[in-house]
Amino acid sequence: MTTPLEAAEPAVQAAGSGDDRPAYRGTLKYALSKVGGALFSIAMVIVGTFFVFRLLPGDPVRNLAQGRNMTPTQLALERHRLGLDKSLIDQFFDFVGKTLHFDLGTSYEYNRPVLSLIGERFPATLLLAGGGLVIAVGLGIWQGQRAGWQRGSRFDQVSTGVSLVLWSMPTFWLGLLLLMVFGVGIGPIPGIFPTRGIESVDAPDGFAYVLDVGMHMVLPCLTLVAVVYAQYLLVMRSSLLEEVSQDYVNVARAKGLRDDQVRRRHAVPNALLPTVTLVFMRIGFVVGGAVTVETIYSWPGLGQLFYEAVRVPDFTLMQGTFMLITVAVILMNTLADVVYHIIDPRVRSA
Amino acid sequence: MRKWFARLALLGVAVLVAGQGQAAQAAEPAAGKKIVRIGATQSMDSMNPFLAVRLVSSAIQREMYSFLTTPDPKTLKPSPDLAESWTTSPDGLTWTFKIRSTKWSDGQPVTAEDAAWTFNKVMTDDAAKTANGPAVENFESVTANGQDLVIKTKAPQASMLENPIPIMPKHVWEKVTDIAKYEADVYPAVGSGPYIAVEQKKDQYVKLKANPDYWRGRPKVDELQFIFYDNPQAAIAGLKKGDIDLIGRMTPPDFESIKGDPNIEQWNTQGRRAAYLEVNPGATTTDNKPVGDGHPALKDPKVRTALHYAIDKQKLADEVQSGLAKPADGSIIPPLYKEFFWEATGDQKVTYDVAKANKILDDAGYKKGADGVRTMPDGKRKLEFRFSIHTDTPIEDKLAEYLTGFFKEIGVTLTTVKLDSSKFSEQTGVTGLYDIAISGWSVNPDPEEVLATHLCSRRPTPSGEGGGTESFYCDPTFEKLYQEQLKELDRAKRVEIIKKMQERLYTDAPVIAIYYPNDLEGYRKDRITSITPVPEDKGLIYGGSSGYPFYAMDVKATGGTSAAGSDGGSNTGLIAGVVGGVVVIGLVAFLLTRRRKSVADERE
Repeated sequence: MTTPLEAAEPAVQAAGSGDDRPAYRGTLKYALSKVGGALFSIAMVIVGTFFVFRLLPGDPVRNLAQGRNMTPTQLALERHRLGLDKSLIDQFFDFVGKTLHFDLGTSYEYNRPVLSLIGERFPATLLLAGGGLVIAVGLGIWQGQRAGWQRGSRFDQVSTGVSLVLWSMPTFWLGLLLLMVFGVGIGPIPGIFPTRGIESVDAPDGFAYVLDVGMHMVLPCLTLVAVVYAQYLLVMRSSLLEEVSQDYVNVARAKGLRDDQVRRRHAVPNALLPTVTLVFMRIGFVVGGAVTVETIYSWPGLGQLFYEAVRVPDFTLMQGTFMLITVAVILMNTLADVVYHIIDPRVRSA
Repeated sequence: MRKWFARLALLGVAVLVAGQGQAAQAAEPAAGKKIVRIGATQSMDSMNPFLAVRLVSSAIQREMYSFLTTPDPKTLKPSPDLAESWTTSPDGLTWTFKIRSTKWSDGQPVTAEDAAWTFNKVMTDDAAKTANGPAVENFESVTANGQDLVIKTKAPQASMLENPIPIMPKHVWEKVTDIAKYEADVYPAVGSGPYIAVEQKKDQYVKLKANPDYWRGRPKVDELQFIFYDNPQAAIAGLKKGDIDLIGRMTPPDFESIKGDPNIEQWNTQGRRAAYLEVNPGATTTDNKPVGDGHPALKDPKVRTALHYAIDKQKLADEVQSGLAKPADGSIIPPLYKEFFWEATGDQKVTYDVAKANKILDDAGYKKGADGVRTMPDGKRKLEFRFSIHTDTPIEDKLAEYLTGFFKEIGVTLTTVKLDSSKFSEQTGVTGLYDIAISGWSVNPDPEEVLATHLCSRRPTPSGEGGGTESFYCDPTFEKLYQEQLKELDRAKRVEIIKKMQERLYTDAPVIAIYYPNDLEGYRKDRITSITPVPEDKGLIYGGSSGYPFYAMDVKATGGTSAAGSDGGSNTGLIAGVVGGVVVIGLVAFLLTRRRKSVADERE
C-alpha cells in the first residue's frame, strides 16, 4: 500500500526542491565515512595498545611475586602461564586474534577473564561517572546560558568565578577535604556521609538499599561534579555570547518576543551545538571512570581497576581497560560527528 | 528546565533525609552482636588460597583455615594447630604429624587425607603453586594414614614447622577441576579456622562469622569484617569516624595523625621488619661472572665497614622515622623475634664514630684529594657512590639526605638515584646497576627465608633471570652455616647457627641494618575491650604471622552498651533532618523569588 507512495515521493521531491534528496544521501555517506574512520582508529588502538604498554618498565612476574621467594623454575612456569615466554610477535598475534573474538584475555593479577572483571566494575562506574556527568552537564548548561545571557551581571560573576575556582582545585585535595568535613565531621558539622565504598557492609534491602547507595554517592559525586562542571558552563556561556549579537536574535526581539523566550527558543538551541560535542566526548570518558575520585572514596569502579593494573603491570588488564576506554571515546566522537550533522544543517552544507 | 532542577533537587534532599532514618532502622537487627571491623588498604586478590598472594589475603586465610602448626601466641615458637603432635625420623627426612580430631565448619571430620590432598595438590598442580609453591619444593611425598600425615623430604628441613599452606577440606576442593580459574566464591566457605567466611563483596569487604566448632573454642567476637579502603587517608577518616575499629601497618606520618583522638589508642610496638642498606659487594651471576656497574671500592669489606661506622643510626631512627623505630645493633632479624635475634656487643659492635671510619679508610690507602673526596688506592677513581631509592617515598628521600651528610664527613660523595619500584628491583636484584640501595624485609617467626635471600644461589642466572637476592652476597662461610641450620633439628643449636649467620652479615657488611621500624596500628578503644597481640609481649595485632589476635579479641556489643554507635546514629539523623529541612526551605524560597522574577520578565 505505502510502498508505491514512498517510491513516488522522492521523484516528486526531486522535481520540486532539488537539494533534499542529495542532502539525505549526503548524511548517510558522511556517517559511513565517519564510521569507517572510527574503525580505522580502533584498529590502530588495538595495535598501539599492545606495544605501548610493553614499553612500561617492570617485570609482571617479579612484581606479582610480591617479595615472595620464587625459584627460577617457578618464574619460568609463571612466565609460561602468562604467555610471556613467547616472542613478542607471537604474543601480538595471539592478542589480536583474541581481541577480534572479543576475548580480552585473563588478568595476570586476578587470574580471571578481563571482560568479566570489567563487567563487574562497570555498573559502579556508570552510576558514579554517569550520574556525575548528567549533573555536571545540567548544572553547567543552566548556569552557562544564564551567565552568558546576562554577561557581567552578578549571577555571571559569581557562577563563573565559583566554577573556575572549583575547576582549578586538585581533585584529590578537594575529595579528601569533603571526606574530612562531611564524612568524619568537623566541629558542629556532623559527618553524615559514609567514608568509603558504594554501600554499607550490612546494607539493607529494597528501597532502603537505594537510599544507602544514594548516601554513599553524595560525596564522590559532589567532588566529581565540582571539578568538571566549569567546562560545560564556560563552553555554554561563550557560545551563547556569540549568539547574543546575531541578527536573528535581534529579529526575534523585534518581533516582540519576551526576553526569556528569545533566550530559550532562539539563542540557546543554537548555542547548544559545541556543548553537545563536548558532552558526547565526555560520555566516552565516563567508561574510564574517575580514577582519582574512585580511589579517594574506595569506589569499586573501572578507574580503580585500571590504576591497579598499571602498578603491576598487568598487561592484559591494562590493554582491556584501555581499549574499552579508547573505543568508547572513538565511538562517542563518531556519534557526536553524526549527531552534529543531523542537528545542525550548517555542517551539512559546509 | 529550572523547575526540573528544583524538583529533582527537592526530591533528592527529601529522599536522603528519609534515608537517614531508614538506614538507622535497618542497622538495628545487628544490635547486640559483637562485631570487629578491620580497615585494610589493600583488597583481597582471591578467595582461593592456592592463588592469593596479598598480605590481606593471608591475614583473612589465617582466620578461615588452620595450618599444620602455628606460632605460639606467647613465644612464637612452633605450636600445634591442626597437627596435635609430630615426630621426626633420625635421618630428619620423614616427618609424621598427628592430625587433630576436629570438624570442618560443614560438620565433616578433619582427617590426614585433607592435609595430604592439599600438599599433593600444590606439588602436582602448577596453578596451585601460585601462592605457596616454594613451601613444597623440598617435599618428596606426602601420604595419609588415618589421622597420621607422613611427609618425606628430599633433604632435611628444620623449617618444616613453619609451613605456610592452609589445610583445605578435600571433600569440597577435590571437585574443582581447574584451580587456576576457581574463584572460591561459595559461601559459607568450608574451613577449620576460628571464623567462617560468609559473604564477600569484591573489593569492598569480606564478612566472617564465629566458628562454634573451632578447636580452641568459639571466638568471643560474633562477626569479623575486613573492609577495604583504596587510600590510607580515607581509612584513617573511617577510624576517626568509627566506621572501622582497627587499622594496622600505618606509616609514621599517618600514625601521628591519629594522635590526640580520645577514642583511638595508638599501638606502637616493635615490628617484624628490618630496614637495611644493600652495599654492592661486587655483583656476580650464579656462574660467578661479574654483572652490573657497582663501584669497585665497595668490594673491599673495609670500605663497607667504614660506611657502617659513619652512620648515626640513632639519629636516623629519631629523625627519619620520627622516633618510631629502634636503631639496629644487629642484622636483618629484628628484636621482635627474641629467640633468633642477634645483637652485636663489645668490640664487634659498630657505633657511630666518624674518626674511626676515617682511620679505617686512611689505613686502607683511600687518600683524600684536594676537594676532600677520597680516591681508590690506585688513585684512579673517586669514592663517589650512587644511592638508589624508590620514587614517591618521602621517608627514603629524607634518609638519603642524612646519609649524604654522614658520608661527606668521611670523604665519600653520595648521589641519590630515584627509581620506580620495578626498575628498582631490576637494578638492585638482577642487573646489578647500583652501589648502595635501600631495602627491607618483613621477617617470619622462622627466619630461614630472609637468610636465604643472601645465598649464592639467589643471584641472577647468566641468562638474566633474577633469583631474589637481596645483596648479591656469595660467601662460603655464610653458605656453610645455612646448610648446617637446614639440617639441625635441635632448636637451640639451630638458633646458635642462625645467630652466627647474622654475625657474619654484620661484620662482612654486604647489608647494613639501620633500624627496625615499629609496628604502628590504631584502634578504637571505645569499642575494642581486649587486645592480645602476638607475641604477647609487645607484639603485633594485624599483619603478623598469626590469626590469634583476632581470635582472642573482645569488643563491646553494638547497640545497647555502645553509646557511641547508637546515639551517634540518631543524632546524625536528627542533624541531617534539620540540615535537610533548611536546604528545602532555602530551595523553596529561591524558587519563589526566581518565579516572581521570571513572571516580571514576561510582563515586560
